[in-house]
Amino acid sequence: MPSDRHFARRDFLRACALTAAGLAGSSALVNTERLLAQPPPGGSLDPEVPNAEIARILKEIAGDRPIRRGHVTLDMPLVAEDGRIVPVIMESDLPVGPDEYIKAVHLIVDHNPDPHLAAFHLTPAIGRLSLSTRIKMKRTTWVRAVLVTSSGDVWADYARVNVSLNGCG
Amino acid sequence: MTAKIGEARIRIPDRIGRGDVITVNAIISHPMDTGFFRTADGQPIPAYFIKDVVVTYGEQEVARFTWTSGISRDPVVSFTLRADREGPLAMVWTDNKGAVFTQSVDITFASA
Repeated sequence: MPSDRHFARRDFLRACALTAAGLAGSSALVNTERLLAQPPPGGSLDPEVPNAEIARILKEIAGDRPIRRGHVTLDMPLVAEDGRIVPVIMESDLPVGPDEYIKAVHLIVDHNPDPHLAAFHLTPAIGRLSLSTRIKMKRTTWVRAVLVTSSGDVWADYARVNVSLNGCG
Repeated sequence: MTAKIGEARIRIPDRIGRGDVITVNAIISHPMDTGFFRTADGQPIPAYFIKDVVVTYGEQEVARFTWTSGISRDPVVSFTLRADREGPLAMVWTDNKGAVFTQSVDITFASA
């Protein structure tokens, strides 16, 4: 029945066109809503307002101690062209002695698949803090260096890194 | 990288005085696969990375690093150390498949 088949095809095409139009319309709407309601790409511009997962990690590290900014510097590029290799330097002006020393430094990348990227557990033998390595970054976001002293004080520094090429897959 | 997985180097200054805070540079050859990538023919590449690094100076453990696959391929790390005695500085890298790689250098003081 060739005429039937022809009709079915026309129906099918019309249905397709309507669906496509509907999708285009709704996605346009969603995009507008997202532009208005969502934080900028890479999350909140204010590092003091972490998302839920980062807040949980920070809580795990610091417990109930306040995380204050200072005494640790996180040196990173403003723009990382290749997210597979992003250099990181962490330094501190805190004195390191047998009684008072830096117990750990944590490196957190907000929007990486595994945000708690590394923990460096240290002893007084390091003399002072100057640590460097290279990390992977998925996209533009905040990177956090969180330092814990032997007496339990928590210090942090943040750097926002713009990532051009996804290095995490 | 053509080097074999687990091939490691530790670099320290040529001349060290007693009590100097020296910078130690270490590199190890390792793919550090995240588990999120696939090969060209679509096969997933399982996660394969160094998860633990222990630094000992003489008999004493001086640092321990806990890593994820977020550390770049062929991981480098540099850190400081107060050279207050002569002795071996050893590093032990352990990956998530249980392989253990070690490397060490001797810290000796330049004769004055």
